[in-house]
Amino acid sequence: MSELPADIVLRVDRLRTHFELGSRVAKSVDDVSFDVRRGETVAVVGESGSGKSVTSLSIMRLLAPPGRIVEGEILYRTSDGRILDIATLSQKDMRRIRGREIAMIFQEPMTSLNPLYTVGDQIIEMIRLHEPLSKLEARKRARQMLELVEIPAAERRLDEYPHQMSGGMRQRAMIALALSCNPKLLIADEPTTALDVTIQAQILDLLRRLQAEIGMSILFITHNLGVVADIAHDVVVMYAGRVVEQTSSERLFEHQKHPYSRGLLACIPDASRDRGPSGERLRLNPIPGNVPSVMALPKGCSFAPRCPLRIARCEEDPPLLVAEPHHLSRCWRHDDL
Amino acid sequence: MTASDILLRVENLSKHFPTKTGSVKAVDGVTFDIKRGTIVGLVGESGSGKTTAGRCTLRLIEPSGGRLIFDGKDLLSLSEREMRSYRRRMQIVFQDPYSSLNPRMRVEDIIGEAIDTHNLARGAAKRERIAELLTRVGLDPEHGRRYPHEFSGGQRQRIGIARALAVEPEFIVADEPVSALDVSVQAQVLNLIQDLQQSYGLTMLFIAHDLSVVEYLCDEVVVMYLGRVMERGPSRSVYAMPRHPYTQALLSAAPVPNPKAHRQRVILQGDIPSPMNPPSGCVFRTRCPYAIDACAEVVPPLDPIAPDHHVACIRRDDPVVLSQGKRL
Repeated sequence: MSELPADIVLRVDRLRTHFELGSRVAKSVDDVSFDVRRGETVAVVGESGSGKSVTSLSIMRLLAPPGRIVEGEILYRTSDGRILDIATLSQKDMRRIRGREIAMIFQEPMTSLNPLYTVGDQIIEMIRLHEPLSKLEARKRARQMLELVEIPAAERRLDEYPHQMSGGMRQRAMIALALSCNPKLLIADEPTTALDVTIQAQILDLLRRLQAEIGMSILFITHNLGVVADIAHDVVVMYAGRVVEQTSSERLFEHQKHPYSRGLLACIPDASRDRGPSGERLRLNPIPGNVPSVMALPKGCSFAPRCPLRIARCEEDPPLLVAEPHHLSRCWRHDDL
Repeated sequence: MTASDILLRVENLSKHFPTKTGSVKAVDGVTFDIKRGTIVGLVGESGSGKTTAGRCTLRLIEPSGGRLIFDGKDLLSLSEREMRSYRRRMQIVFQDPYSSLNPRMRVEDIIGEAIDTHNLARGAAKRERIAELLTRVGLDPEHGRRYPHEFSGGQRQRIGIARALAVEPEFIVADEPVSALDVSVQAQVLNLIQDLQQSYGLTMLFIAHDLSVVEYLCDEVVVMYLGRVMERGPSRSVYAMPRHPYTQALLSAAPVPNPKAHRQRVILQGDIPSPMNPPSGCVFRTRCPYAIDACAEVVPPLDPIAPDHHVACIRRDDPVVLSQGKRL
């Protein structure tokens, strides 16, 4: 059995998830590795087609065919201290992991809430599936869960259907459902993207507080660097299926060692930088071109066609290089950044 | 400032939708001006009425009340027929570049349709005009033969912009034009929007929920909540020192890409109330950290506090509210 340092809950090691479509292969996740430590939050950040969601679905083993894990390990430390490789687990064993050990929340709460059952029934079902509690005991626990996620009038809300709740309230109900079996790891796939900023702030605040109270780890999938700065300890930046930069959140925002991460931060409008002394608008610095399709990746570095630092060597695929201690960059020119 | 500096004056605009159980006041007494050649940002959360207000300014949704003075003329007094010549002067760019382009039409026909509707050019002149527009928005004129699905999201948004420009409008309502795009592509489209705004001297109403985009792009900003204007003023003053508790909460909630920016965050309780049954007095009071009994009694007027800067809050001069604005 594989080894895992004591403070690590999840280790994704050289994961490759491919979608085979006839003779063509989409390498949606291509050699991705990262660790999630106990009680910490790792953000996987990327744009459309970066592979961030496929990474999270691989960990939950929720890939729909033709998606398939073709290589790599997903090592997970269970509550009773065993280390499992999720990548090779049977679906039967996986069912014992999902919900109880690892829970997931989505952008759209209606993907995990059933519109035909009350919120209470769904949480009660989840609790009783994993724990031998009576209906009454489970209902009490469900009410406590709604209180934990700060849903007012929890007792009454238990008997409501999802459609009777607002978007922010549904998101809370989904979090309550996900946390009802005390998972050690929460995978949150763009959980605040569809929400208004004031509600987003509430949910991020809630996740931070729950993490401090329960000590769970969070894998947070997002495209929003502002949210990353707000919640993450470590960051994995993905582009076209690969990790291009990986370090602590603090270090990433201080000093980007990959031209893509640098470009992403430079193109978010910031009036303090992008307006001149008399308030006139300066031009923004966009990344030229478009995000490539994983079905048609350029040769060598996938970012090279859009990169201002491109040199001849970029036709050769760069490995993930150590730019400085605890800071990886998939760029030949990381020293020039 | 003379009246002719103002291209569009929105005065006490309202839109009430009747329902079985009462009327929804989606827009309720909204007033603001848009000066010629400027960009005004209209911000607010879902349910604030910003999209309805934007569409009302073009009479794409018929307002229930108020006045829309466009270039000195009240648009609401015009018949549908008289309105046609004004329609050419005002255009809209939609949020979703996927659903706002007819998938069965070639790009040249999508743009050409607007030219035909207003009889602006025919034959070779029309083809030339389409090619010129495509070039102007950064697309290859050869691509006019293609269909929308052959383009990326950013390119489709460029097509939507070319369509709006085809009739040489003076005023454009842009309804969340970059929110559906990838971050790396948003900046390209924002640069294009301001290039075009400058070279054609366009006046714009830019509807958005992304506060950093509005701060960067807009000369003035109007903050809406539950159908009403909470605060409006020059972007610089509003962002430097927001005076309404809602504006303060909104600005403090927006995440910024800097983990060291430890701001004094105001976390609002609860959700936006239903517009079917808005709170009495100030509509924001149920979520406002500074609400007092008096807030339930009167609708706070949108009072001027500085040239062009207006705030609808009875406690706007209270030290506790003022100091929160300074901390942001």
